[in-house]
Amino acid sequence: MIRKNFKKTKKKINSNLMLFQKPGMKFKRECPLSEKNAPVINYKNTKLLQKYISETGKMLPSRITSVSYSKQKELSSEIKKARILALLSFAND
Amino acid sequence: MNIYEHTYILSQNLSSKDLKDTRTKIENIIEKYHGKIEKVEDWGLRNLAYPIKKFKKGYYSNIFFSGTGTAVFELEKFEKIDENVLRFLTFKVKEVPKENSELCLKDENK
Repeated sequence: MIRKNFKKTKKKINSNLMLFQKPGMKFKRECPLSEKNAPVINYKNTKLLQKYISETGKMLPSRITSVSYSKQKELSSEIKKARILALLSFAND
Repeated sequence: MNIYEHTYILSQNLSSKDLKDTRTKIENIIEKYHGKIEKVEDWGLRNLAYPIKKFKKGYYSNIFFSGTGTAVFELEKFEKIDENVLRFLTFKVKEVPKENSELCLKDENK
């Protein structure tokens, strides 16, 4: 009985995380930014940065986007640069 | 010698002559303190994501230059005093990119 319950809860978490993945694909655990031919993280590339920002303007945690630790560090520093130069907003209402 | 990337925003109210004057002033300061300008990009008039000093638009421009810390110090000293400069940001880069960035104006070659 305990095992069955455990399986159910695990599935629920996965389905929540799949909101941020492409539809129709299997749930991906690999980092999308450290693949081959991955886009370069730069503060000028605001289209890429906006994928990793919520609607209210906060950064998304890496456990949701499955970005690796080193790439998440790069992302956060580039997002902060873009915010200072008014390319991205600090907060949206 | 380090390579620096420097971006700054000029206010919307400036005339085209004043724009050129402030840009040449900034480039002269870099050359005065033994810096060498590698690349200049003009991003044109862009919407700001949030109002700065009650302005909603600004002229962006971007400079790559190699030089020492004193050049950066004098540059930022000038820009803090000047009222027409809304924002600026400098940081170290390892290399100067060969291609223009996405934000750069496409009609620059004309």
